[in-house]
Amino acid sequence: MSAFVSTLLRYRVAVILGLTLLVAAMIVPGFVSLTTLSLGLDRGSTIGLIAIGLTVLLIAGQIDLSVGSVFAVAGIVAVMLQPMLGMGPAAVVGVLAGTAAGIVNGCLVVFLRVNSLVATLATMLIFRSIAHWMTASQPIPGTDIMFSITLSEIYLQVFTVRSGLFLVSILLLHVWLTRTVAGRNLFAVGSNALSAEASGISSDRIMFSSFVFASTLAGVAGVLQSLATNTGSPVYGSELTVAVIAAVVVGGTRLEGGRGSALGTLGGVLTIAALTTAMEFQSVPAYMQQVASGLILILLVVLDRTVRTGGKTRRKRCPRLTLFISNR
Amino acid sequence: MIGKTATVPAIAAVALLASTAFASAKTVCYVTAADSHAYATPANVALNDRAKELGIEILSLSQNFDVQTGTEQVSTCIARKADGIILWPLDPQAYIPALARAKQANIPAILINSPMAEQANEFIKSFTGPDVYEEGKLAADSLNEAMKGEGAVVVIAGQAGNGTTIGRVGGFVDRLKETGSKIEVLDTVNADFDQQKALVASRDLITRFGDKITGVYANDDTMARGFIDAWKEANAGKPTPPIVGINGQRDAFDSIRSGEMYSTIVQSPVEDGKLAINTMAEILDGKEVNARLPIPLTVVTKANVDSVEPAF
Amino acid sequence: MTDVAAMGQTTKDGARFNQGNRLVGLLSRAGLLLAILAVILYGSISNPVFFTAGNFVNVLTSMSIVGIVVVGMTFVLVVGGMADLSVPATIACGAILCLALQAYIGPVPAFAVAVLLAGVTGLVNGVLVGYVGINPIIATLGMGTIVLGIVQAAVGGVIVYGADPSSADFVKSRIFGVPMIAIIFIAIAIIGNFVLSRTFWGRWTIATGGNYSAAEASAVPVRAVRAGAFVITAFAAGISGGLLGLTLQSARPLVGQGYEFSAITAVVVGGVSIMGGFGSIPRAMAGLVFVQLLTNVMVLQGVRTPIQGFVLGLLIAGAVALDIALRKRGVA
Repeated sequence: MSAFVSTLLRYRVAVILGLTLLVAAMIVPGFVSLTTLSLGLDRGSTIGLIAIGLTVLLIAGQIDLSVGSVFAVAGIVAVMLQPMLGMGPAAVVGVLAGTAAGIVNGCLVVFLRVNSLVATLATMLIFRSIAHWMTASQPIPGTDIMFSITLSEIYLQVFTVRSGLFLVSILLLHVWLTRTVAGRNLFAVGSNALSAEASGISSDRIMFSSFVFASTLAGVAGVLQSLATNTGSPVYGSELTVAVIAAVVVGGTRLEGGRGSALGTLGGVLTIAALTTAMEFQSVPAYMQQVASGLILILLVVLDRTVRTGGKTRRKRCPRLTLFISNR
Repeated sequence: MIGKTATVPAIAAVALLASTAFASAKTVCYVTAADSHAYATPANVALNDRAKELGIEILSLSQNFDVQTGTEQVSTCIARKADGIILWPLDPQAYIPALARAKQANIPAILINSPMAEQANEFIKSFTGPDVYEEGKLAADSLNEAMKGEGAVVVIAGQAGNGTTIGRVGGFVDRLKETGSKIEVLDTVNADFDQQKALVASRDLITRFGDKITGVYANDDTMARGFIDAWKEANAGKPTPPIVGINGQRDAFDSIRSGEMYSTIVQSPVEDGKLAINTMAEILDGKEVNARLPIPLTVVTKANVDSVEPAF
Repeated sequence: MTDVAAMGQTTKDGARFNQGNRLVGLLSRAGLLLAILAVILYGSISNPVFFTAGNFVNVLTSMSIVGIVVVGMTFVLVVGGMADLSVPATIACGAILCLALQAYIGPVPAFAVAVLLAGVTGLVNGVLVGYVGINPIIATLGMGTIVLGIVQAAVGGVIVYGADPSSADFVKSRIFGVPMIAIIFIAIAIIGNFVLSRTFWGRWTIATGGNYSAAEASAVPVRAVRAGAFVITAFAAGISGGLLGLTLQSARPLVGQGYEFSAITAVVVGGVSIMGGFGSIPRAMAGLVFVQLLTNVMVLQGVRTPIQGFVLGLLIAGAVALDIALRKRGVA
């Protein structure tokens, strides 16, 4: 019995996802269909792409609050440069703008040793200002609407370009985290940067790359969003960061670093997407949706605690928060 | 055996009934700005109530002021094969691809409350509601009248980058230029439609410009209130310069009566919501509708403040 | 290691920290004061209206609302709780209830109930963080979402107006030209400073933030102390929200948006470490004053609102990086 319970707890994200789908299937008419699946996936993929980057960053024990602003900047760059460079190259430059933002974040945290929460709070403001400055606070139209429509086309009745990209990326992340040395090093750095350093892992380099990776993916998501809407807007992504952090944490990745998984994040993203889609089908007001997702967030982190303190391998409790090590 | 064969047609009959019942009740997808907002909430309520009278099913989705959510919600509406879409755009461009796909899927779409860029016109049947750009123009005219065509104003704007802000500031500035008014804009600050932010910003503006301020334009009445409070703090007993707001809130009416505000522009959320669903009902009945269906905008000054109903 | 030894270790560490860093501490404190002076100097030169009593009263009044939250947030950072992101929800709770209940139970009880309910939110935060051991960012993020959702559901999105306009007169009344709201803010800051620097609770807070295990070993009720910081912040935010509601005589659910980051910014710019164990109310207040004066100068100079965010961002990153660089040098 207790084995059953502990299995349930171990796969709690899958359980919650399953329950959400089950309840939705029972009470929401027309929920069970390929269309719903495709919709849910497409809506999850923007949050999902950013969540991939944040999963890596959180495992490394860092956080990035600036992803929403980077999302906006990258999209604006990609749209602004379209008339000069053409669509493809402009999109590439947009993603590179995301990469550049990641380098700024990485420098602040790794070289200047600013705590990542504070550093990215600062860059969140800075990048958002840049987005306003570039656009004079006006949304900018792209050149080709038809491309936007193509981008939202549904293939094999389920996938859009975005959701396909998200699913492939998260599988790659899974392989990288579980099967490669670099992936394991990431966990080592996240659980204890100093001892990782002692065993010959360059924790600075890993953290730096994690920031660059996270911002680049935020850039990819931002560029895709701008292409899909044919618009670059300075207000894009202002509500994103919180949703992404919630999705990653629901997936069992911990802010303290050293723990997390790609499949967990996939579960978290899908849970939030399923929940949103189901509640929207029922016209549940947005604020009640917020209450529901807040409750799920709290429930899952409490369960996470229970698993850890109640499990067999009772690790020594370490209440000293090791999050944001870089300030030490 | 007999029982079993009897049930099959029975089920089929029920299914048929259900499907015809379903077919006769049209479902309209309503992508609203937010559920919890002083203007949007009464508009949503009015729209839903009127839909019930018309026998139209409403699937209501709230963007919660997030454009990205909104564009995805339009996709949801298309995928759910709604019979019509009513969209409350929060951005003049971003929904165009989604609306184009709605057109491909033969789902008629109309806009409520805010206009979009011209490129959107071919994908929508109509735009119903007030025009925020028009409101900016009306505000310019009203302030121009109050200031007799000359002086200096401060503009307290909403959120930077927000569609309503862009329209209300743009209409105001363009109209001043158009009419050749000698009114000079001293500064434009963003106070995010928030009374406290407007109060703080107004204190600084009053400190900075002092008596140079001979008029104020606030993008909504809430922020106008913020300026009035700041003015009273700084210049107790001194009459306020002419202040023009938008929305027609109840407390703005009180301010106009007491002379603290010059005018406001009433746009009724109830009319806004009703007009949109009525228009959609006509489209669903196969009727042609005008591309632009405005709701009345009433400029309220001391002269007519007692004969007009506040918006909310 | 025994309890006594552990305690000895901390005090010794603490002493060394104080001695080795006295110069640096002085420098980093003086640095901020110098920065404030620089802003005042620049403001006075660039703008004739800056250095006037009227303008300073304005700045003081404008910073009061966020300032009260800053007092609470300082406790959260010092205890090692990183940040309380539920502040917008607790402010909204305070502001809306304070006005909505006026008609039924009168302004004073309404204010009390509003603050108390905000405090309950803090209690839940505190239990989640202190006793269940959930990461504070996640706990307060989740709680904030839930409470804000409930508040919105309760009022249905409309603006809540006050029923008793005379209650605004009290907040706006002035004593020797200083608005009541600023006096309340200063009083709360003084009480906060007293608690943090002169009482056992303050010592516990600093000890818990500095070295959790050592504090626990020396019989400090670490869980309660961590939880307490969030309760204090929620009460502060509730009071702040209530005063905001009274000042404006109207409130809407999103009235508290952005205050959490403004408060964190002030505390962090003041040189309070986000890692806990170090910081004081005067430091946080200096950070607040600096940020507010800078914003005031920017508005007076006509800097566009979005650009102000840019300067503020640079300031946060710069201040913290400088502080760290100074402290590293001091220790070495």
